[in-house]
Amino acid sequence: MTAADIQTTPQRWWHSRGFRRFAQHRLAMVGMAMLFLLTLACIVGPYLLPYDELYIDLRARFSPPMTDDHYLGTDPLGRDIAARLLMAGRISLLVGFFAMVLSTAIGTVIGVVAGYYGGKVNSVLMRFVDAFLAFPSIFLLLALAAFINPSPVMITIIIAVTGWMEVARIVEAEVKSLRERDFVLAGRMLGLRNTHIMFRELLPNMVGPIIVAATLTVARAILLEAYISFLGYGIQPPLPSWGNMLNGAQQYLATAPWLAIIPGITITIAVTSFNFIGDGLRDALDVRTDPA
Amino acid sequence: MEFSKMNRRKALTMLGLTGAAGALSPNLLVSPAFAAKPEEPTGQIVVGVSQEPTVFNPLMPRIEVDDGVHLSLFDGLVRISPDGEFMPSLAAEVPTIENSGLSEDGLNWRFKLRDDVTWHDGEPFTAEDVKFTLELIVDPNFRSWRTTGHDLVRDIEVVSPTEIKWRMEEPFAPYMSILVETLMVPKHILGPLEDRNEAPFNQAPVGTGAFKWGSRRAGDNLELVANTDYFGDGPYVERLIFKYIPDLTVLYTQFKSGDIDITSNQYITPDNYAEAKDLAGKEVTVVPSSTVESVFLNYEKPQFQDKAVREAIYAAIDKQTIIDALYYGLPTPTESYLPQQSFFYNPDLPKHEYSIEKANTLLDDAGWERGSDGIREKDGVRLSFGNSTTSGNHLREQAQQFIQQSLGDVGIEMTIENKPPAVMWGEYWTQSQFDSVIVGIVFTTGADADVTVRFSSDAIPVQGGRGSNTGQYKNSDVDDLLEEAGRIFDQEKRKEIYARVQEIVRDDLPLLPLFQYATVRGHKEGLKGVEPNINTRIDTWNAAQYYWDQ
Amino acid sequence: MAGYLIRRLWQSIVLLIIVSMIGFGVLHLTPGGPLSQYALTPGMTQDAMDRISEQMGLNRPLPIQYLDWAWRMLQGDWGTSYRDQQPVLTVIGRHLFATMLLMVSSTVISIALGTWIGIRGATHRYSTFDYAATVGAMIALSIPTFWFGLVGIYIFSLELGWLPAGNMYTIGDGSVLDYLHHLILPSIVLALVNIAIWSRYMRTATLDVINQDFVKTARAKGVSERRVLMKHVVGNALLPMITLAGMQLPNLLSGALVTETVFTWPGMGRLFLDSLGYNDYPVVMGLLMFSAVLVILGNLIADIVAASIDPRIRLA
Repeated sequence: MTAADIQTTPQRWWHSRGFRRFAQHRLAMVGMAMLFLLTLACIVGPYLLPYDELYIDLRARFSPPMTDDHYLGTDPLGRDIAARLLMAGRISLLVGFFAMVLSTAIGTVIGVVAGYYGGKVNSVLMRFVDAFLAFPSIFLLLALAAFINPSPVMITIIIAVTGWMEVARIVEAEVKSLRERDFVLAGRMLGLRNTHIMFRELLPNMVGPIIVAATLTVARAILLEAYISFLGYGIQPPLPSWGNMLNGAQQYLATAPWLAIIPGITITIAVTSFNFIGDGLRDALDVRTDPA
Repeated sequence: MEFSKMNRRKALTMLGLTGAAGALSPNLLVSPAFAAKPEEPTGQIVVGVSQEPTVFNPLMPRIEVDDGVHLSLFDGLVRISPDGEFMPSLAAEVPTIENSGLSEDGLNWRFKLRDDVTWHDGEPFTAEDVKFTLELIVDPNFRSWRTTGHDLVRDIEVVSPTEIKWRMEEPFAPYMSILVETLMVPKHILGPLEDRNEAPFNQAPVGTGAFKWGSRRAGDNLELVANTDYFGDGPYVERLIFKYIPDLTVLYTQFKSGDIDITSNQYITPDNYAEAKDLAGKEVTVVPSSTVESVFLNYEKPQFQDKAVREAIYAAIDKQTIIDALYYGLPTPTESYLPQQSFFYNPDLPKHEYSIEKANTLLDDAGWERGSDGIREKDGVRLSFGNSTTSGNHLREQAQQFIQQSLGDVGIEMTIENKPPAVMWGEYWTQSQFDSVIVGIVFTTGADADVTVRFSSDAIPVQGGRGSNTGQYKNSDVDDLLEEAGRIFDQEKRKEIYARVQEIVRDDLPLLPLFQYATVRGHKEGLKGVEPNINTRIDTWNAAQYYWDQ
Repeated sequence: MAGYLIRRLWQSIVLLIIVSMIGFGVLHLTPGGPLSQYALTPGMTQDAMDRISEQMGLNRPLPIQYLDWAWRMLQGDWGTSYRDQQPVLTVIGRHLFATMLLMVSSTVISIALGTWIGIRGATHRYSTFDYAATVGAMIALSIPTFWFGLVGIYIFSLELGWLPAGNMYTIGDGSVLDYLHHLILPSIVLALVNIAIWSRYMRTATLDVINQDFVKTARAKGVSERRVLMKHVVGNALLPMITLAGMQLPNLLSGALVTETVFTWPGMGRLFLDSLGYNDYPVVMGLLMFSAVLVILGNLIADIVAASIDPRIRLA
């Protein structure tokens, strides 16, 4: 018998009531549906389109949407925007997803350790968190981007490295409030190792807030990738990403507005989906958060 | 240094002349024959610039756009006309052997100065100022941008307030071109200061030029006002305003709307040319610039050791399509690193021929076999390299991706590694850490064809050299030729040597020349006196002569 | 309270030191340097670059450079911009005005609109309006700001020609009206996210108040709905409003950055990006410290206000 069993098992409670509430959350369901369709389009779409996302055809440059087979038009190099958009979706969504996984992992570990040990450890780690938060994230991003060749993997890593602080704070606060609870004390008395208590006993109690934060982190990561790629420091061409498709679009705003409009709408749809889902999860899991 | 007898006189007469020999009247630069110049400076001109002028001491490191301001505020001893002729400016005459300004061996220089020049604060300009300027440039504590040539100057002697002479350590033919870019600063202001790097002068300069320092609203605009005591022709407007508009699209919009009167650096983007040239009330012209765009290779990288590879890459680049489709047909394809308007340009270089087939054959014959992934390989070297440029230059980024696709067709992998400017042009560039870059470079020294700092084996920074040969190009023939051309003063002879250098460089292909830039410049129709000058770095070189048609 | 403040102050100083060290280190270790902008200048040679870099003290060991910078900073000398050749404080001060202008106008817009939307949403709970506001806020939080700016420019500047596409004022004009004209689009773009946050906040706050006994009592007494709301909701929301404004302080730099880039607005955000692009170390460090102080100040204000509202939060 472990300490967790003394407690009412949180998982099952979450499964039944939380899930039902989530399923009834209309916005969350809309978000799920949009995300599902978007993902599906990104996975299957490129196979159905007549053009390769890398195929350059200068004779067809700047074709407006619905020209021939270019349903969404072409870019300044005559590449098919629909094909690029969907391939970009794969990259942008994956970058967003893995950046979330990574930053949530970093944030959780730091938050748990800081919250559990308290005292000096807490002070040092949380000052570190504060210090990271005191930088404009774009500074860290651009500075880090200067060190590396911005491949999708590296972009994922640097977005994660600059985005774990919120999770750390949330987790730290949760752990602090749970630290003195019976099941933790019981665990200690049973002589369980600290790592066991932290990650086996405490962590399951914080799944709700972490999931909510993680969902919002995906949204944030997608926006960040878009922004740094828009500035030209993110994913490098010819690999498309939603952000780098917007790079240079301002220049053609008057002559080829679709270059800017299409990827932007797609980003908004993706990010909105995650925010809807996050909102639903927050309600369903009864997570207290700031009014925002 | 040996000149043949027959040649000697001619040689020294030629110093400073490109093409036509002959007496240089100090009045040659006097305005084109337009009638309606105002008697008094009238009105203002707003110059739109996309980079902000921030350095106002003309001897300190600066960027192109700063030059435009410097040339309005300051003068050099000599200046250069659009045809490449040297003109006296602060000097009363350009030194030649006839007027005994130069010794026959090219070692002794003597300048006679104008006696009617005053600084903006009313102090007279004298030979002391010239001496001070030349000495300041080589002062080890001063942050000067170029010491080349100046470091050969010895024994400067002020003969009289209007005459100065010095000796050169060794003959150095490009020095006149360098003097054109050496603008004089006042001794009476900078001389007494201990720290010239942080002098107040640097933010409120005092020159001899057609315009005086007005005010600066940093991050926004810079206002110069007419110097009514200017010794030369002009100025004809009361105020010259440099308006900083960091976005080229906005720059163009403001030009269209009439908010700015003339576009300067970086001008109108090529994609707007078609529309711009038909704008009512605007004069829009395509002006060749001396910047040559190339795929610049790092000669030392194993991928580029084989000449066949360099030739194959060159053959696989569809230059004409890049120019026509991406750059709207504005730039001129080129085979040389020199601008085609240069006196030293060699027009007989072999013409580039776009041929995927030829590229493939070259590589096949040289033994570069395609691997399983389609990328060629030879002796363990994979034909894959990085290519960088500064992020944000959209046309260049498009060309880059286009080239990437072409190279892919012949089994060469080019990966794009673009960087922010500060990173790109840092050690990455200066210490030759790149594989290849796409870059536009001005190779000349002023209007001179001396390219020692770019191509000499002694100029490779990463190998301890003193120049900017970051591509690590090495060819002993080129070294010898450059050395020779720098020491002789006969321009025709120098032209021959530089023609040979261009030939060798074209053959070695340390850089794959794409095109010579052309800029789309525009100004309002009523604005007169605007004249492009390929021998200067910036178009507002003669703002003194700008005026509004009455 | 005093003990708490002293402790927080001490923590803040430690934090500032950490921030400055990380910032300085990252900045100087980044490849490239302030001289790279001259690398392509014709005639610029490596020995000239080396000499200049020596004169500027860029060759010294990093810790020495840091200590030198920190020591000057302590004496109030923020250094001189490499690019502008002007004192860092002057440079920052100049851009501060543009950013403040933008921040103030966008804050006014977001508080006004946010308050209205929030209160209306709460009083008409579950109405179409409420639902649209909820969804709208969520979407507003999801739109990439820079893209929203582009769309704004496309519609209002290029297509309709109503508003300028960028800049803070027209050269040669610069009247108040002209400034306002230029302010509209960037302010709205910048306000978008805050309208969303603020309206959500006001909605929650209003709902809390509405359900409290004294409001029910007041209503029962026949006090008009509007007066109750104005008095209690806005009164109660005042402190949180300060909190939120406090939390907004740090955004002075990063929040406006995107908007300023798109609209070529001569503010701090663009200064930051430009300076970073040129590796203008003194200015970037100055801005980083400036923004760090704002972040810390913002957090402090938020914490103190939170504590003074809610006695349950111990000032621990």
